[in-house]
Amino acid sequence: MLSTIQPPRYLSRFPLRRRTKCRSLHILSSAEPATKTSLTDQSQILSIRDLLLSRQLSAVELTHSYLDRLKQTEPHIKCFLHVSDPDKVLKQAQEIDDKIKRNEEVGPLAGIPVAIKDNICTADMPSTGGSHILEGYRPPFDATAVKRLKDLGAIVVGKTNLDEFGMGSTTEASAFKVTANPWDLSRVPGGSSGGSAASVSARQCVVSLGSDTGGSVRQPASFCGVVGLKPTYGRVSRFGLMAYASSLDVIGCFGSSVADTGILLHSISGYDSLDATSSKREVPDFTSQFTSASSLQSRPLEGLRVGLIRETVDAGVDSGVKSAIQGAAAHLEQLGCILKEVSLPSFSLGLPAYYILASSESSSNLSRYDGVRYGNQASSDELNALYEESRAKGFGSEVKMRILMGTYALSAGYYDAYYKRAQQVRTIIRKSFKAALDENDILISPAAPSAAYKIGEKKNDPLAMYAGDIMTVNVNLAGLPALVLPCGFVEGGDVGLPVGLQMIGAAFDEEKLLKVGHIFEQTLEGYNFVPPLISNAAFT
Amino acid sequence: MAMGSSRALLILSNFKFKPTLPFASSSLKPFPPFIRNNFRTRNFSAKTSSSLPPPDLPRLAETARISLAPNEVEEFAPKIRRVVGWFGQLQAVDLDNVEPAIRADTEGDNLREDVPETFENKEALMASVPSYKEPYIKVPKVLNKE
Repeated sequence: MLSTIQPPRYLSRFPLRRRTKCRSLHILSSAEPATKTSLTDQSQILSIRDLLLSRQLSAVELTHSYLDRLKQTEPHIKCFLHVSDPDKVLKQAQEIDDKIKRNEEVGPLAGIPVAIKDNICTADMPSTGGSHILEGYRPPFDATAVKRLKDLGAIVVGKTNLDEFGMGSTTEASAFKVTANPWDLSRVPGGSSGGSAASVSARQCVVSLGSDTGGSVRQPASFCGVVGLKPTYGRVSRFGLMAYASSLDVIGCFGSSVADTGILLHSISGYDSLDATSSKREVPDFTSQFTSASSLQSRPLEGLRVGLIRETVDAGVDSGVKSAIQGAAAHLEQLGCILKEVSLPSFSLGLPAYYILASSESSSNLSRYDGVRYGNQASSDELNALYEESRAKGFGSEVKMRILMGTYALSAGYYDAYYKRAQQVRTIIRKSFKAALDENDILISPAAPSAAYKIGEKKNDPLAMYAGDIMTVNVNLAGLPALVLPCGFVEGGDVGLPVGLQMIGAAFDEEKLLKVGHIFEQTLEGYNFVPPLISNAAFT
Repeated sequence: MAMGSSRALLILSNFKFKPTLPFASSSLKPFPPFIRNNFRTRNFSAKTSSSLPPPDLPRLAETARISLAPNEVEEFAPKIRRVVGWFGQLQAVDLDNVEPAIRADTEGDNLREDVPETFENKEALMASVPSYKEPYIKVPKVLNKE
């Protein structure tokens, strides 16, 4: 048993099949694969592709079913800052159907509804970063990651809510709305990519993009019971991602399965001349290694060395989370892994070092929002006053505070005491992770010290909120890839709240994380990570 | 999760967090150890303490070009003082002879050739400018100070 709470198995892991209202879903029901464990059953993307190419489902029908669910659930969850025009979306779907009809080649993501975090630029669609200062802004270009998804046939259904410019861990710091957790509407979805995590959890889209500077993909994935992946720094181009802390920022992936998340990562990875920090390394096919559960041996991870980071299951961590992680570790052992505890003595230094670096870099990066070249401009007859008023009106409290703290840390005479020391701590953290990953294939930890908490609970206590990032910030400082996947539940809400397991790998070894994560997911029995709201009759 | 348990994560009692730190706030009390470690801590010199005065909010706001309302100063000042005080714990870590890392440095730079490229969609770019009068971006008078 991984947890004390076990939600009822009210829904298959492929929620589309349960819906009966729409014609397309009847078709889906009849398209149940012969073997329950075939690979398409583990990936909505592969399953949808199968159905489209075999003409059992049209892209228009698929799009309708997602838009319907989005319309029904959105007033409760509020994931989106902008929903794409349904006519435009359906037109794109129709074009895919026409191509299939003409037996033309369609991209591997043809017709897949995706959501994009609103700090990632989309051409001719609003991209606000969750900030008033960019209200109404429409970038003249797509971020490279978005462009790649569109080129592969994906359909962007909307832009998701976030803490302003990614600064927050609850999505409450958005200038526009507060997103709710689909598992319990009185709780936060996590953040800053709360809208992207909640929209996948609520099955409003198949996969979504987020960004992760200090845990902004992984913590909301844990809170919402979905899979979240933070790639190695450099794996995915940051071109078109609104810069927060450039030495830490990465674009990351959400999906309802490890396979979907891996397919999404594969779609957006690779060198981009528009981002000098993007890597020229070859991108392996992350998807080729996924094997169906039926073909797994009894101990498929025999000999894999797993290090449980001791500092992450110590004081200050919720006991329910701890037991879920210990259960997950036991499950890995049953799969053949050699489990060891490892100590990273510098672990807790990561938190203050992270916040020094992130606020310092944000104070520099956000100087571009001056009301002159784009965004909202305050009226003034003096140039400095125009800057000061535009920024005063445009930024929210958390952003202002981080800019001010960063300005302080970078002030003449203080640089050595703060920014430089934080960079030295980063060196120590990198080395300690390197040593731990020389002795272990992967490291594991919780994704957050607690499950989702109540909206408003930590709003006025920045240090309490920052403390929640302890499990994730070190990974950004070291630039490593990490996969978070749901592994159990703790008490809370109607049926319990999901808990995420974080797996950390060596630089550019996402392949291993996805392989281990996929086997873990396929062999974890007795859990259903579809929130009750979605299986509720009111929405079907 | 209770507030108290989350705060326990913030304090490195093994790093001998000292209440006499430059910005230590009385609201930060020592907590039970969160980590066991072998990091050496160093002694504070009087010089370190005196050379780092606490944040002067109006001055910072001016430097950052953000005008603050009086109620914001009141709201932000204690929060910023607390966080900056918490930043101060890194002063206690022995980092002699440790090289700073500009970033994770998973791979070196891939700089492109330094040649200009034309952005095709220039009109859309200029359309974002709030105040534009062909061919200039309009701003208030700059030279109005002696």
